Amino acid sequence: MQFKIIQISGVLLTVFYAAFVIWLYLSQPQTIAEISTKATVAVGTYEVDTAKFNEGLRLFRAENYRAARDFFAAADSEKRDAKTQFYIAYSLYREGYRRVLSVSNDKTLFQQALEANNQVLNLNPNFKLDDADLKLKTPAELKAELQQGLEWDWNVLNPGNLLRERK
Amino acid sequence: MQTNALIRQRNQAVWKYILLPLVFLTVALLGGLRVGAESALGKQNFIFIAPPLVCLILAAMLMLLFTRGRLIVLPDWLSNDFPFLTNTANVLTLLTVFAASAQALNSVLPERGLLLWLFAFFFLWTLWNNLFSEFDAKRLLRSLAVLFGTAFMLKHLIFAAFAAPETSIWRRITGLILEGVSLGSLDVPNFAPLTGYISFFALVLYVVGLVGLLPSVEPVTQQTFDNDEDETIRRLSAVISRLAPHEQELLREQLTRKQIAAEAILVETKNGE
Repeated sequence: MQFKIIQISGVLLTVFYAAFVIWLYLSQPQTIAEISTKATVAVGTYEVDTAKFNEGLRLFRAENYRAARDFFAAADSEKRDAKTQFYIAYSLYREGYRRVLSVSNDKTLFQQALEANNQVLNLNPNFKLDDADLKLKTPAELKAELQQGLEWDWNVLNPGNLLRERK
Repeated sequence: MQTNALIRQRNQAVWKYILLPLVFLTVALLGGLRVGAESALGKQNFIFIAPPLVCLILAAMLMLLFTRGRLIVLPDWLSNDFPFLTNTANVLTLLTVFAASAQALNSVLPERGLLLWLFAFFFLWTLWNNLFSEFDAKRLLRSLAVLFGTAFMLKHLIFAAFAAPETSIWRRITGLILEGVSLGSLDVPNFAPLTGYISFFALVLYVVGLVGLLPSVEPVTQQTFDNDEDETIRRLSAVISRLAPHEQELLREQLTRKQIAAEAILVETKNGE
């Protein structure tokens, strides 16, 4: 009986340890802290750092988009939270937006915003933001706005664009 | 006496089914682990490198070598007579040996470039030759320890010094020689010195694990023989089968000589009577 218990414990221990080793090689954590964060993702207990998120939101509202993004990225290091990723995409959009001549929008920032927005769509295709200050509430709306900002047509020379507002 | 046998059996089971897989899986974990050189921000990061295909091929050859060298005696590990649980536990342990072998190789083989292929070729050549040599388990272990030790020294002392950013005299010498020999096609990544320590620890653990694979020989006494004659004979035959062919030949000669002497005494005794 004791022999059987040893064998069963051995099998279980081996399987779990082997799974842990394989998981490490697949998830490629770079620090000890990352190992624990990725482990929380794996077991489904991952949570966004609320303090950092709130600080990011404060900076976002103060239009300090770069600093806000740093805080959002730190709050959601594993890019698992649709809301945080949406704010990152939104901050990239706002920073890259040019009112006078839409063709001069910062294309790099808009591209990055599209990538972040795609991440939101991957995480939650039905995501809807509950922030009254922002006009674009869904990733689909933000995507349309970003794609429009990246395209070139004669309409970009329309003087009426001066009156358009940043969303 | 029986209690001692039970304790021995339990300890062997703990070693074989719990500690040995843990040792080998730790080697599998550490074998591919590198620590990146310090970045501009003063941070060092882990890099987990999965074993390249050549490591898996070499590990498969090592497994063949272990079987041929009687370090792993397959009938002791897998048999139709064993219960399902025993066979499963044994297969898992053997799989961990394979994983550890692949990762131990990954640990001493350069990561990429011309050096990787040179090292891989030398390992392949040595293991291929060994497959056709006469080996017993202990000799095989010694040979492997030397092989891995040499590769470790080359990679983590000589080539690591070559890749080090500081311009030491050693780096200049190896740099000049290696760049000249390889026509500048060397590609040695720069890792933190900690990588060498991790690799060393992994190799030591690997060798400890392999030593732990050595089949244990239980003492055979008259009492054990009387208790279970068949089992004792089976155990003794297993022990003999693990000897190298020339050792088996020597044993056979000795036994024949003793048998002849015993028969002569018997004849003499009969004649005397």
